[in-house]
Amino acid sequence: MTSALELTGIKKSFDGVVALDGAVFAAKSGEVHALLGENGAGKSSLMNIAAGFYVPDIGTVAIHGEAVALSGPADARARGIGMVHQHFKLVKPFTVAENILLANPQRHFRSGIRDIRDGVRKQAVELGFDIDPDRRVEDLTVAEQQQVEIIKVLLGGAKILILDEPTAVLTDVEAERLLETVRRLAQSGVAVVLVTHKLHEVKRYADAVTIMRGGRTVATADPRVASAAELTELTVGQTAPLPDRTERPLGPTLLNVGALHCARSDGQVMVADTSFFVRAGEIYGLAGVSGNGQAELAEALIGARQPLSGEIWLEGPGDIAAAPAAVRREAGLAAIPADRYAFALAGSLSIADNFAVATIESGCYGPPWLIDRAAIRRDASEAITAYDVQGVRSVGQKAALLSGGNAQKLVIAREFSRQPTVVVAHSPSRGLDVRACAAVHERLLAARDRGAAVVLISEDLDEILALSDRIGVMTRGRIVAEFDRPADRQEIGRAMVDHA
Amino acid sequence: MQDFFINWLANVPGTAAPYAFAALGLIISERSGVLNLTAEGLMLVGAVAGVGTCLTIGNHPLVALVVAMLAASIVSLLFAGLVVILRVNQVIAGLSVVFFCQGLTGLIGTLANWQNHPIAGLNKIAIWPLSEIPAIGRILFVQDPIVYFAIPIFFAVSIFLRGSMLGLKLRAVGENPAAADAAGLSVSLYRIGAIVVGSSLLGLAGGYISVVSVKLWITGMVGGRGWIAVALVVFARWAPWPALAGALLFGCIEGVVPRIAAAGIRAPQYLVLMTPYLATLAVMIWVGARNRGHQGEPGALGQPHVREERR
Amino acid sequence: MHDVAMIAVESQSAPPPKLPPRRGRGRVTLDIRQTISPWKQAGILGGSLAIGLAISVVILDFAGIAPLDLAKELAGVFNADSLRSVLVRAAPLILVGLGAGLAFRIGFWNLGLEGQMVFGGIFATAVSIYDIGPESTRIVLMGVAASAGGILWVLLAYWMKVRFRVNEIISTLLMNYIASYFLLHLLYGAWQDSKTAFPQSSQYRPFERLSDIGSGVNSALLVALAVAAVAAWAVHLSRAGFYMRFISANANMAKVVGVPVRTISLIVIAASGAAAGLAGFVNVSSQEGRLTQSFFDGYVFSGILIAFLSRNDPIIVVIVGFLLAVLFVTGQTLQVFYQIPFTMVQLVEAIIVIAVASSEFLIRHRIRWTR
Repeated sequence: MTSALELTGIKKSFDGVVALDGAVFAAKSGEVHALLGENGAGKSSLMNIAAGFYVPDIGTVAIHGEAVALSGPADARARGIGMVHQHFKLVKPFTVAENILLANPQRHFRSGIRDIRDGVRKQAVELGFDIDPDRRVEDLTVAEQQQVEIIKVLLGGAKILILDEPTAVLTDVEAERLLETVRRLAQSGVAVVLVTHKLHEVKRYADAVTIMRGGRTVATADPRVASAAELTELTVGQTAPLPDRTERPLGPTLLNVGALHCARSDGQVMVADTSFFVRAGEIYGLAGVSGNGQAELAEALIGARQPLSGEIWLEGPGDIAAAPAAVRREAGLAAIPADRYAFALAGSLSIADNFAVATIESGCYGPPWLIDRAAIRRDASEAITAYDVQGVRSVGQKAALLSGGNAQKLVIAREFSRQPTVVVAHSPSRGLDVRACAAVHERLLAARDRGAAVVLISEDLDEILALSDRIGVMTRGRIVAEFDRPADRQEIGRAMVDHA
Repeated sequence: MQDFFINWLANVPGTAAPYAFAALGLIISERSGVLNLTAEGLMLVGAVAGVGTCLTIGNHPLVALVVAMLAASIVSLLFAGLVVILRVNQVIAGLSVVFFCQGLTGLIGTLANWQNHPIAGLNKIAIWPLSEIPAIGRILFVQDPIVYFAIPIFFAVSIFLRGSMLGLKLRAVGENPAAADAAGLSVSLYRIGAIVVGSSLLGLAGGYISVVSVKLWITGMVGGRGWIAVALVVFARWAPWPALAGALLFGCIEGVVPRIAAAGIRAPQYLVLMTPYLATLAVMIWVGARNRGHQGEPGALGQPHVREERR
Repeated sequence: MHDVAMIAVESQSAPPPKLPPRRGRGRVTLDIRQTISPWKQAGILGGSLAIGLAISVVILDFAGIAPLDLAKELAGVFNADSLRSVLVRAAPLILVGLGAGLAFRIGFWNLGLEGQMVFGGIFATAVSIYDIGPESTRIVLMGVAASAGGILWVLLAYWMKVRFRVNEIISTLLMNYIASYFLLHLLYGAWQDSKTAFPQSSQYRPFERLSDIGSGVNSALLVALAVAAVAAWAVHLSRAGFYMRFISANANMAKVVGVPVRTISLIVIAASGAAAGLAGFVNVSSQEGRLTQSFFDGYVFSGILIAFLSRNDPIIVVIVGFLLAVLFVTGQTLQVFYQIPFTMVQLVEAIIVIAVASSEFLIRHRIRWTR
């Protein structure tokens, strides 16, 4: 049987940075074919080429055996390829029906909307979704928005469905439901490509798996036969050792959050009456699917967002909820935000400057009227070496040139240059490969061992389970349950869902 | 007293018309996600083109207005090229185009000797017998044709935005260009189209001032109305009918200024002339005080769109 | 040892299947550049500047000035007399350029430079009219008053932005109109010079004027250069300048990292207003010697142009300000001898900014043909 979708010899670079180096892929109709690999392996880039978003430098795309040159996403859709991205391509203020009408244009608006509404209702029922076509997309939950994307793509006539990390934004229960639906779709003849880095999904739901690493395809396998260990080794190249944990005596409470309320930029309240505390020498992990207030909580803690009410108490200055960020920094708070280039680094400025900005107020780099540039360069170079930041030709180069993992190491180098007492880390290993991930985890544990109070907010349950001494589950803006180490994954999952 | 009010209100539609057309033109282009600061400049282009046409081919005001619209649309291609194709910062591009137009219209107006030459222009017409109704008759039914033309135009644009495929696509481009791109729309073409079409209305607004209201050309005669229109669009949350209401409000404010002198009220002349600008500031303060979030603003306003972006 | 049951390991050397021939031309792709050498950058900027000037020359040709005559006029500017004039014109231009550059550096679009010049002139003239302070320090007092006027007018706009989120582009531009009407109110009213019928204030007394020092260099220029030196120090050497770079690069990050964003923004914006206010005083005092109704015309865009071309760097502002003064003086000559309206200068300025802004595209993107 010829493959429904086949990519051969794909090479793609972005301004000199190689993303794909001779990748291949083939999926058949009626199967769920997983595309497995770590962050940065090139999976999304490869699928974006299949869906017409990027044009390969070299290589071919073939649909049902016929080579095609896609002129854009609309062309790919016309040929039956539909992709659901990690970041949904939905227009938030539009209704569900309007969004689908946009992607599947009809001749007239009024009749078109009517037809789309009927189509949506029918398709939703078939898939087991509960979607009202007249609701605005911005009022739907993340899982529902994803369902809209899938309906959109199927109504467009897709016979090849590509899902890019679909379960990253879902709870365990929602993920299961989605993957069951996906399996049923495959059985009805659709070719489903499941891009993921989660091995357990591959083992449970996929009929075949292609493994990518470093921009190339390293192997194709049958996940029902291959063992988890084999697949892991193919994916990461070598298993990274788990960091050591030492038992530490706990110190006094250094951070106490009480009845915190925060709103998002558009006014919607995301954090509602959240309270928790963290002691010296412990890592408090906040688990939960993103979109439940974690981002707003993290921003409130680091000083990027004013909470509506409540208190954030730090040992030393006391309640700093309304105080400017500088007060927290003085008290020893270190921030490792999720979006590096939004809150942690100024990409257009040099590595040295990005390193020095945290401590320059103390006067160690000269008096206010004259900056000591030599001292900045010296300290920055030392820190780069100490924290193993790669890809640095000179500390004067722009910070934006660093890769994800190295940028994160720079952030940590800067934040830890002051021996912090409280560390707030939000999704610190997002987008990092395994080695960089391990380095970050080591640093967080080291901070904890030195007596800092660490708040770890992450959607990666594995990361939380590996690092945390105590775990809090955050759903719909509040902490609904707390667990001590060792925590049961099932119970945590249940806590996330029961209160949803 | 009653005379004062009737005289004042009778002139409001004529004073409001440039604001209304300019705001509508800006709404069309900004709905595509482009921050459009060119109003002041393109209105000048329309104004000089309108008067120039009348002085060149004789007094055909409707033709002159069409030429004004075309001239503004052509010059707007410069702006469109800068922000859509070359991805220049939209604020800088807008300001530069305004000054470009100020310089260009001043130059052309002087070199072609169009400055200070009155034209017959376009006059009000009375819709008989409705114009005979006491009080309201003069206000509503004795206006120039362009004022009447505004009503169907506003209806057309409103229906276009809310209930047509093209309008849906335009709004998508302005809210989330990535989604529009994924849906197969050419973000660039929609933005260029929106700018050009919107700019024709800016040209009409400027042409109205010179051909209908003042009936001559003076360098810089738009006098800041373009900037007030930009503020109006924010105040109206990018929706046509509130923009019309705002334009009428400003027509009232601007219209009061000459009435005060005509009524014999002694007031410091230049302080009174400040009123439209002070009023605009007051409106913007009021908008800022009542709003908590950015409601109505097209999601992608002011951000250029490049598809092949690397994180 | 492990026998992985694989379906196939794709061979990398398999030849790709035949592709149907691509009709027509290839497509243009845009890449965002990751790096660019400063030489290439300077080359692109210089090239665009040259193109902008070339277009201006062509337009001037259409307007009736042959390029050869234009070159003669330009050369003529560099004789002693005209050079004096250029230096005097340069002083207020440099000051508004500094004002614009400082504000733009931290992301505040201070387009109210003209309004701030007006209030600078008004406050300084008030010192003159009400005879405040002894003769020996009068000029200094007027300068300080002018700065205060500029600071007041710009902080009003800043307050509206902070408190009511009023976009400063529109508010500062509208305030220009308000300021100029207020000026007219004064000039046609209480401050009108009784000796003439024109809208202008009485002549400044000799000790209130910025005059030439030695042969040729006006003290106004020295004021401008002094302010430029202070600005250059602040931007390049001081800790505040270090912070400013972060505020302009990423204001959110600056806030989180502990940079005193509010304080620094306030100081910088006030300084911007002060520079513009001072520019107003310097202009009035060194040129007309009295408050007139349009001494501030065209300074907003001139400020934008200078700031934009000099990338908000105070040292380059001085150079660009000087060059713009050359343009202004040439424009005046053209107006007098060739009847070209002064709006021509505005047009040339706009063309230059558009040309340079367009070149940013080439600096930020790499264009490729793909087949």
